[in-house]
Amino acid sequence: MQSGERAPKPADAFRELSAPIRGALTLAATLQAFATIAGLVPFAAGFELAREVLPPGGPAPDHDRLWTITFVAIGAAVVHFVLAGLAIAVSHRADADLQLLLRRRIAEHLSRVPLGWFTETNSGTVQQALQNDIDDMHYVVAHARLDLTAAIAAPLASLSWLFSVNWALALITLAPIAGFAMAQKALLGGAREQMGAVAGAMAKVNTAVVEFVQGSAALKTFGQGAGAHRRFDDAADEYHRVFTAGNAPILRTVSLSTGFVSPVAMLLVILAGGTLLVEAGQTTPVDVLPFVLLGLGLTAPVQTAGGAAAALHSASAAAGRVRDLLAVPTLPEPAAPETTAPETTAPDLAYSAERGLTVEFRGVDFAYRPESPVLRGINLRLAPGTVTALVGPSGAGKSTLAALLPRFHDPSAGEIRIGGRDLRDIPSDELYRLIGFVFQDIALPRATIADNIRLGRPHATLTQMVRAARAAAIHDRILDLPRGYDSVIGIDANLSGGERQRIAIARALLADAPILVLDEATAFADPDSEAAIQRGLSRLATGRTVLVIAHRLASVADADLIVVLDQGSVVERGRHDQLLAAGGLYSRLWQVAGAQKAEEAV
Amino acid sequence: MIRAILRVVDPETRVRLRRHITLVAAHAVATGSCFVLLLPLLRSLLGGDTGTAGWWLLGYAGATVVTLILRYQASMSGFRIGIATINALHHQLGDHLMTLPVGWFTPGRIGRLGRVVGQGTKDVAGIIAHLLDPLLAATAVPTVVVIGVTVVDWRVGLALVVTVPVMYAVYRLTARSLDAATDAGEAAAAEANARVIEFAQAQPVLRTSGSGGIGRRLLDDALREQDQAIRRRNRVEIPGRIAFATTVQLGVGLVLAVVTALLLRADANPAELIAIVVLVARFAEPVAALAGLASASRTTRAQLRRIEEILGAPALPEPESPVAAAHGAGPVEVEFDGVIFRYPDADPTTTAVRSHDAAHAAALATGSDTASDTASDTASDTASDTASDTGSDADGGSGDDPRPTLDGVSLRCAPGTTTAVVGLSGSGKTTLLRLAARFFDVDTGRVRLGGVDVRDLSAADLAASFSMVMQDVYLFDGTIRENVLLGRPDAGDDELADAASRARVDEIVERLPEGWDTRVGEGGAALSGGERQRVSLARALLKRAPLLLLDEATAAIDPANEDAISRAIADLSGQATLIIVAHRLHTIAAADSIAVLAGGRIVESGGHDELLAHDGHYARLWRSRAEVPGWRLTDAVDDPPADDALDDATPAIYR
Repeated sequence: MQSGERAPKPADAFRELSAPIRGALTLAATLQAFATIAGLVPFAAGFELAREVLPPGGPAPDHDRLWTITFVAIGAAVVHFVLAGLAIAVSHRADADLQLLLRRRIAEHLSRVPLGWFTETNSGTVQQALQNDIDDMHYVVAHARLDLTAAIAAPLASLSWLFSVNWALALITLAPIAGFAMAQKALLGGAREQMGAVAGAMAKVNTAVVEFVQGSAALKTFGQGAGAHRRFDDAADEYHRVFTAGNAPILRTVSLSTGFVSPVAMLLVILAGGTLLVEAGQTTPVDVLPFVLLGLGLTAPVQTAGGAAAALHSASAAAGRVRDLLAVPTLPEPAAPETTAPETTAPDLAYSAERGLTVEFRGVDFAYRPESPVLRGINLRLAPGTVTALVGPSGAGKSTLAALLPRFHDPSAGEIRIGGRDLRDIPSDELYRLIGFVFQDIALPRATIADNIRLGRPHATLTQMVRAARAAAIHDRILDLPRGYDSVIGIDANLSGGERQRIAIARALLADAPILVLDEATAFADPDSEAAIQRGLSRLATGRTVLVIAHRLASVADADLIVVLDQGSVVERGRHDQLLAAGGLYSRLWQVAGAQKAEEAV
Repeated sequence: MIRAILRVVDPETRVRLRRHITLVAAHAVATGSCFVLLLPLLRSLLGGDTGTAGWWLLGYAGATVVTLILRYQASMSGFRIGIATINALHHQLGDHLMTLPVGWFTPGRIGRLGRVVGQGTKDVAGIIAHLLDPLLAATAVPTVVVIGVTVVDWRVGLALVVTVPVMYAVYRLTARSLDAATDAGEAAAAEANARVIEFAQAQPVLRTSGSGGIGRRLLDDALREQDQAIRRRNRVEIPGRIAFATTVQLGVGLVLAVVTALLLRADANPAELIAIVVLVARFAEPVAALAGLASASRTTRAQLRRIEEILGAPALPEPESPVAAAHGAGPVEVEFDGVIFRYPDADPTTTAVRSHDAAHAAALATGSDTASDTASDTASDTASDTASDTGSDADGGSGDDPRPTLDGVSLRCAPGTTTAVVGLSGSGKTTLLRLAARFFDVDTGRVRLGGVDVRDLSAADLAASFSMVMQDVYLFDGTIRENVLLGRPDAGDDELADAASRARVDEIVERLPEGWDTRVGEGGAALSGGERQRVSLARALLKRAPLLLLDEATAAIDPANEDAISRAIADLSGQATLIIVAHRLHTIAAADSIAVLAGGRIVESGGHDELLAHDGHYARLWRSRAEVPGWRLTDAVDDPPADDALDDATPAIYR
């Protein structure tokens, strides 16, 4: 309602997404319609049987005709289930097709959105869309149309038959259903308001659960477990209260009204009406039979409606979320990749690595939100064969600046050039071969260590891989694992943060990219491995363009260029000595760090 | 499954649940009885005897009223018991979780818990409120109908009875193959789930492999596997359902044939036989519904199993007669005495459940770890928890490691001193701190605080004894003030300000527009890793516990702040006993005593100078650290190959 003018309705999203399987669904619905009709035949046969033998005392029944009716009834029942089964099979197949199609489509799409989108978006959101939302659509794709077809076809066919048998009794039969439908309608309005309150209470329980469970260690160590426990208990009781209060009035009406259309009640109405009409001479006893046999089936549409409405609602919401995800703008790829770039005539890695590539930031601004800029007017030139260090207080924008190179985001203003080419003109496959990066958060895919190290260079030889692992000081640790390089991350290779980082470093080294971006690459490393890694990296950095962010100033004191960032702007740049002499922010930071260094050198 | 629910809930709910089941069963029997009354009613009506039919109709109406009252009662009580069961399970789970050791809460289990407490309890309530009635109806109604029909005409009754075992057999058969296919489907879905999470988390890494590389393949393989599992399940489920429904129909057909044969006999009572035909249709309906109900209850069964698992996890034993903590507010002595400890193995759960949990845990973990500067290991470490639910994320051995994580550690930390624990990844440093805090109980040996075994301290005394800053800092979704005050809720403003300035939280609070009232987001996601550590440290300092455990508490903090914080920590000397896991050498060097852990044992201990003079492990660590060269492009190609240097230094300590 509120979103009326904003976007197309979620229901449209579902229609849009399910377009590829529309044909199959129509076929399934058609099969279901035939199945439904076949399903009524046994009841008609029962009626025919009765007409043959009733009223009692008539002529002796025709032997052959009775058996024909019996076998038609049995045959029709079997046909009904086979057709219904086929309908389900067709719709489930279509559902499986759609699931795979959508999952691949989402994955494909997300592989092209800016990397920054992933850091802002909880991976739970991706999981929600790729798995839960698509699961939520299952009922609507695989069942809803069939249920709907059956729920409409069966009562329509039955009703037309029943009206032709006796219209008065048909009307009587419809009375409780009409009453039920009205009660339902009245309820739906009230229910919607209550749902909000209940969902709110459940959300509180969930929050309390998360707090209670996730924070359990922290809570217990502060002796505050009891408090969180109490909050959780309170939330549980509040949920209980809201749920009960919200549902009690509806529940009474629901319990009563579903009673109206329960089989025993329907039969009572039909038999009472039938007996009265027979008594009044308005109908014959045998004509009451179709009502007894089919009258109950008339409640199907109203009963299906409730469940289907809820399922449709959640499926539409799910489809809406999936569509939103597919609408996330992808990283613009160059329409026709520039192949005649000034510095790189061909994207040949070995060649590039030898030559080195210059990276230039020209007037780069960046902001996650327009009102709070993170980077302002960054001009920076990273020369091949040099190490540039980014330093500055926390929150200065160092990580953001580094993340612009692998295009986590595109600058809001200005441009970044690699070897003279604008980043946006480099196809992403090529870009990731040009830039190797090791960031703080290392998530390793659950694959073998070897696959992980060779990710950027799948055809590297064993020797090359081992050399990279040694340089990253992780080779021996790998050999200690049960299956060495064939150990699988998370299965038989449980690595610490520092070890994961070293795997990432090995990967970056093996990928042999001409540009290396290292953010806090050694934050978690053990002291001795850190030394080894830095030695290895320094050696491999030769000829490359290297950008390093490090907290410990001592480790970047020898960098060719130190760039000091503060509040999103470059405030100082130069070599260590120059910056110290300048007596600015860097020298202040250095004094603090220098004190540490001095202490360490005791 | 009903039995499983009864087993899980507390006695009071169990009694109410039993009463409810009786009510529902009564409703089913009443419904069946109504149907049976159709026999004489239809017999007279179809026989043309409207008068008698009228009397039977009255009887039927009476039975219907009773049935509807029962139905109403059952429906109301189903709702009430359902929600009461949710509430009871919530409390039971909450109470039990309180008694579990902190170490039990591994990322894998945390992921599972969220779902079990939220969705699982609701599913159980759903069974009670919605599924119990049709389930009981599927057995009670046909039974009553068969009895009724047999009384009226034993031949038709016999035909009905004969069909029942066949239906049952087909039902079991299809249900079993469906169970297998469902399990396989769930395993494939869980695998795909985990891959999807990984796909999102490791996207930068995966992208480096290009569009044709392994990065895309991992997820696509899982999606394809999931697709195949879905199709396999369909191939089992749909024919199974058709087979079952057709069997039911053929049973009805058999009865119909018997009726037809009887109709053709000279002594036939056509009205009665036709009435039976009507009744048989009622007999088949609830049975046919069984197939659909079974699949609905299948998922709940898995949830129930998990609830049972949690409630069955052994509680941390509380001492029967707790020994009062001997120490007052002053620093406490900590003593590890011949401690051997191995992380408990994961509970015997299926692979499917585990990988599923990993996905959930990963989802949860990322929720708290999206900040760019995170210092926490949790997010990616959930993967390791999949394999061994040991909780040994950053440190300590895995479940299949034959060697205990701590293998005979004896260490005494005198009151008011600072002990630095150093060693390589996996040497057991974090585990040592965890045992001091009784996250787990030791297998052999003792951990004593102030001379008292931690197992003899009451939970409250133990909690009061120490405060801790862990590697994976968890902050609540509240304000910074609330998070710091957690350390000591009754702390005054000046105490708060003091702790804040020592942990450099004052700088954060000044910088943020909303200051102390800034909300930190779930798990502290709104703050950077270093900021989270500072808040967590302020919280620990505010508590002023006699023992302070710091596990790389400053790893993510920038140098300027780290320096200030290190000084603040050093100032605590004499006021509290400190055990510190640290990498930074100046922190280590300042400690009163240093314990070097390797392979779960303390291989060296003593003061900095003493250890340097000893020229062992520590001296080697120190030298290599002091030599960290820093970032420059040397002509290092000419350096001696580092490979050899590594071989010299590393393996000795690793082994």
